[in-house]
Amino acid sequence: MLSLTLQIVLNGLTTGLVYVLMALGFTLIFGIMRVVNFAHGELYMIGAFALTVLSGSLHWPYLPAILCSVVLVGLLGALLERVLFSRVIGNEFNCMILALGVSICLQSIALIVFGPDEVGAPRPVTGVVHLGPAVIPADRLFVGAAAILLLVAFYLFLNKTRLGLMMRAVAQDPEMAALHGVRPNLIHTAAFAVGSLLAGAAGALMAPIYTVAPYMGELPMMKAFIVVVLGGLGSLPGAVVGGLMLGIVESAFATMLGSTVAALVAFAVVVATIAVRPEGLMGRRA
Amino acid sequence: MTLRIVVMVAIAAMAIGWPFLLENRYITHIGVLIAISITTSVSLNMMLRIGQLSVAQAAFMGLGAYTSTLLVMRLGVPFLLAFPASGLLVAAIAAAIGPIFLRVKGVYFVLLTFAFGEGIVLMFQEWVSLFGGNNGIHGIPKASLFGTSMVSLRSYYFFALGLAGVTLFTSIVIFRSAIGTVLDSLNENEALSQSLGVNPLSYRVAVFAVAGFFTGLAGSIYAHYTGFLSPDAFSFWSFVDMLVINVIGGIGSPFGPVIGAILLVPLPELLRDVRQYQMLTYGLLLLTAVLFLPSGIVGGLRELQRRWRAR
Repeated sequence: MLSLTLQIVLNGLTTGLVYVLMALGFTLIFGIMRVVNFAHGELYMIGAFALTVLSGSLHWPYLPAILCSVVLVGLLGALLERVLFSRVIGNEFNCMILALGVSICLQSIALIVFGPDEVGAPRPVTGVVHLGPAVIPADRLFVGAAAILLLVAFYLFLNKTRLGLMMRAVAQDPEMAALHGVRPNLIHTAAFAVGSLLAGAAGALMAPIYTVAPYMGELPMMKAFIVVVLGGLGSLPGAVVGGLMLGIVESAFATMLGSTVAALVAFAVVVATIAVRPEGLMGRRA
Repeated sequence: MTLRIVVMVAIAAMAIGWPFLLENRYITHIGVLIAISITTSVSLNMMLRIGQLSVAQAAFMGLGAYTSTLLVMRLGVPFLLAFPASGLLVAAIAAAIGPIFLRVKGVYFVLLTFAFGEGIVLMFQEWVSLFGGNNGIHGIPKASLFGTSMVSLRSYYFFALGLAGVTLFTSIVIFRSAIGTVLDSLNENEALSQSLGVNPLSYRVAVFAVAGFFTGLAGSIYAHYTGFLSPDAFSFWSFVDMLVINVIGGIGSPFGPVIGAILLVPLPELLRDVRQYQMLTYGLLLLTAVLFLPSGIVGGLRELQRRWRAR
């Protein structure tokens, strides 16, 4: 029983950490720009494809390939913000439509370029690791460790760098931040780039574990959205707690009752959360 | 005003003459799809006009489709009863969830209806004994009215067209009436309207139920027309279709989605050989509309008319 519990928690934490990466970017973009980024899953997908091309087709070593994919998706995010989102910022409805349009475009471009078939990326890590009575695939453990590393870096970025502090200031009170000389345009672009970068990292990390295909972003996007609603839209600590919680709860329900029940429970929890406490578990009241 | 009347008469004449044009079965088939699409998109438009983007509309269409199908196939209920029942059931569901869902606004309502829609599609997929799972339900009998089965394409066309017309008429009447004034006042200043004794929730729930009713009916026609149902026809992407139609046509007017449906529904058929470009076209159209024509074709036409008069 104890070993089963440990196994459930470990499985949950490794998937949960990827959810956290997705949800953090999603919630950062919403918190700063009030954009519900429906294209977040497609940024994940592009991160995965970038890694597959770099490490698979071009035979780059794993580490440079992953770094390059992450930077690439970050730059794409900055470009999307500059060219498209900056034009409709402030109008929540138009931002949503625009994000949907971007999502459809990116997905269909991936479909045109890479075709509908699932492809695999080379696996840099193989084998299993024994942690007491529980067994965990080594590649999963690697993804978990990399995700934790990214989270720490993100935390330091938000709390120790000037740009990070400016971002938090804009998220808390845009007008007050502007009064103190923070240029909102710059922060918007930076936030979209960082949010995209995190999604790209999640995609690039998961590419060797799952297969890569143009529609692969839909499920992670849905998970990110569930996490963010649970934790509170715009709340960064909420995204971390929500992501880990969803990972563990899903893992428990999937082990005991099957993945369909797990998914239905997740949806029911979302509906209940918004109905009872729309600001989420850790969000502020608007 | 005259421009509007000319356009409306032209559309009406076109709509009635459509199946006789070229005597082509394929053209009539597209016409049926457009009419069904108008019904669902005008319903979504009703929600948009009260300021709520309801992602649940696709799931509502699915609920109507499966209700009608199961009533006819499993319980032997005549279509004449199953058809209204499908609309009424969806309206009842909307009325039941409305008081909870419509308390929140904007993004939260979008997320809530999104989760609801995904949950419903998951139910269609996983409850195999009732809904047939991902294999779907085949061989749905043709709709029959008063004992005569609707086999001809034209009869379906006029049935679907009639429903689209009633939906459009209802939408116009709702938003031009005193109720429409109340709804507009809620969008403008909810607190002030409430102070005048308006209960905003009940008005919004009523619109949600009406939009659900017509979407459910459209689902029923769709099921009996195509003869085949599968869960993915009612997924998030089918909601995106309804939304694109509204955004391109213009969400500020009930005629927006009508124009949007007429222009966009034939598009997949034209781009059939290049399927992957069909999605890209949709995406690019959305981007273009949001950036350059935010109030859609109807809004653009109004602007042109205004400039013309100002000359």
